[in-house]
Amino acid sequence: MKYVKYVDVTRAMFPDQPPYQWTENVSAPWTPIAKPLSQSRVALISSGGVYRKDQPPFKPDKNDLTFREIPADTDAGDLRISHDHYDHSDAEKDVNCVFPIERMRELAADGFIGSLPEVHFTFMGRIFRKTQLLNEMIPGLIARLKALGVDLAFLVPA
Amino acid sequence: MGLIARAVEEAGIPTVSLSSAYDLTALVKPPRTFFVNYPLGHTSGKPFDRQNQTAILKEALGKAGEITEPGAIVALPYVWDDLTWLAGA
Repeated sequence: MKYVKYVDVTRAMFPDQPPYQWTENVSAPWTPIAKPLSQSRVALISSGGVYRKDQPPFKPDKNDLTFREIPADTDAGDLRISHDHYDHSDAEKDVNCVFPIERMRELAADGFIGSLPEVHFTFMGRIFRKTQLLNEMIPGLIARLKALGVDLAFLVPA
Repeated sequence: MGLIARAVEEAGIPTVSLSSAYDLTALVKPPRTFFVNYPLGHTSGKPFDRQNQTAILKEALGKAGEITEPGAIVALPYVWDDLTWLAGA
């Protein structure tokens, strides 16, 4: 399988800086999927910098440690993208390329997934402050997922 | 994003991720990942291609429960129409 090596691409983009050290893990955590999908509440989580037009945009360069809650019934036309580091020209026209909010509604309406939470979650990638991310943003996100009764989180990076 | 998947999973909520960056995902190891070999900015499908977007979502969500190996990356079969973007890969 031929695929782009983004470690190399990133290093080539910043030749004068010390090579960025990606987190390297030897194992992955595990929580079994206990419920059938057709009975599960599934939340969408996107790192594509998507926000609703009446919400504050993300800081488009890096290290924005906030997230937005996007009501699951939001009109796709009311969504905007603030992110300087990927080509979102297609996603500007059809947000479902990175934040498939309309497809999620259809899958819930069809009964393929049990239900949607009241809101989905979006943030902006390129966060290099790992400690702050782990200690500040992520606990808030997890608390909201639990409060909303989310059974399965579906993560879509841009 | 992999870091967030791992943290959510550790907190007791199972996760399923998409990725278009195979090498980064293999390093970070989110619990369950479906690889979509598209240019960045199209992880959940081609623009205005509802069928493609639905197929990606159905495969990932529908088959997440079949993954038994933590950190597994399953490549989805979808191919970007114009392959010149992979020329240097």
